[in-house]
Amino acid sequence: MASPPVRTSSRESVDALLVACAGGDPSSFTPVYDALGPVAYGASLGVLRDPDHAAEVTQEVMVEVWQTASRFDAARGSARTWVATLARRRAVDRVRSEQAHRDRDQRDTDLRTNEAERDVVVEDVERRLEGSAVRRCIEGLTPTQREAVVVAYYGGLTYREVAERLDKALPTVKSRIRDGLNRLRDCLEVGRG
Amino acid sequence: MADETTGTGTDGLAGDVWDLLPGYALGALDDADREAVERLLASDADARRALDEYRDVVAAFVVEAEPPAALRASVLAQVQDTAQLHGPTAEAASAPAASPAAPAAPPAAPASPAGPDPEQGSVVSAAGTAPSSGGAEVVDLASRRRRRWGTAVAAVAAAFAIAVPTTVAVQVSAERDRLREQAQVVSEMLADPDSSILRGAVQGGGEASVLVAGDDMLFRADDLPALDADQAYQLWVVEGDGSVSSAGLLATHDGQATSLVQGQHGVGMAVSVEPKSGSEQPTTAPIVVLGA
Repeated sequence: MASPPVRTSSRESVDALLVACAGGDPSSFTPVYDALGPVAYGASLGVLRDPDHAAEVTQEVMVEVWQTASRFDAARGSARTWVATLARRRAVDRVRSEQAHRDRDQRDTDLRTNEAERDVVVEDVERRLEGSAVRRCIEGLTPTQREAVVVAYYGGLTYREVAERLDKALPTVKSRIRDGLNRLRDCLEVGRG
Repeated sequence: MADETTGTGTDGLAGDVWDLLPGYALGALDDADREAVERLLASDADARRALDEYRDVVAAFVVEAEPPAALRASVLAQVQDTAQLHGPTAEAASAPAASPAAPAAPPAAPASPAGPDPEQGSVVSAAGTAPSSGGAEVVDLASRRRRRWGTAVAAVAAAFAIAVPTTVAVQVSAERDRLREQAQVVSEMLADPDSSILRGAVQGGGEASVLVAGDDMLFRADDLPALDADQAYQLWVVEGDGSVSSAGLLATHDGQATSLVQGQHGVGMAVSVEPKSGSEQPTTAPIVVLGA
């Protein structure tokens, strides 16, 4: 491993790296990969849990980041958010298509295993987030908000699936997630003037 | 938690769609809900801003993790062989895509005076071979989304610099070439120091303007009222002696119409409401006359 990832870079410098690689030489992408590859991998792993699948998604996402670098708009959010969004979308798509596949093939057994596999323990999540800004903010949520947000986040589930998992009505789940994310937004001070 | 009421007022449905934005940021919506959100996003900048904030929240959950070491080499190798896509629009993604052949820059000489927009650079090709019109060449530009004309030539230039890349998303290459030729003509018109813009209100509603450069005229109208099914707007070139000749029927799109008329020795333009099939000569009083 030649160059270590630039995990400590400020937001601005990572954004600038991404902007600079648009219309640039492929070699200009190397620092972008080093700075944002861990974001793509972490986001994929959060949804997929499986390191091999997460690596495949990361490869697709990082090539997409290179191809579409000119579409990155720093006014709309950080490079980290952009890459995390792309990675999450692909990872969720993969969960969905696998699930559809599985549902078609072998309904009962696999579905049950699948559910067990993706069962999320809120405490585990909080441990993983140790030290990150979001940890403190998650603790500010009500237990029911926290549960709904965490299940939706880490399961890559639809509202409907979250409702089934938690055995709650769909509108209840919707409003818990909405209120939970609103609180997180305020706590994380995600405002934009 | 305070209720997230928005500018959507008492419209319960719109409020419901706003409530789906967090789910959209999480990728937790099913198809029908997702489409509803996308419709909202397409029309509402506040909703896009709110979504950006939710995305930041969702991204805050990401615990970064070092990808497998082998992945680095394999991504960087693939990047070597993958061309970048240009242009900020999502629609463009479906067009030229990942052909490893095309390098960064568009293969073109940017002869346009409209500024350094890189997309504008691709507006060339058939330069010089502008539509060889023997007489009235009426070209319809109206079928594409357009920006409003500004109050100055510079504003018009900017508008076309923006409008051209969006039309390039059109995948039929013949159509694209045609639009490029038109853009070239309009660029030349705008570069003409003697060009001028005439504008006026349309009787019954709307605004019209015409950019005149030499023998070329670019007509533009906005907010034209809808006509009865058996009627049409007809555009006329007004000549120095006061006579008029038809420049064709105006195709309107959401009350908008654009028409490029070349090689006419007119001093102005006029519009009248005519039967659907058009008239040889105006049969009604003009609803707008634009003249020097």
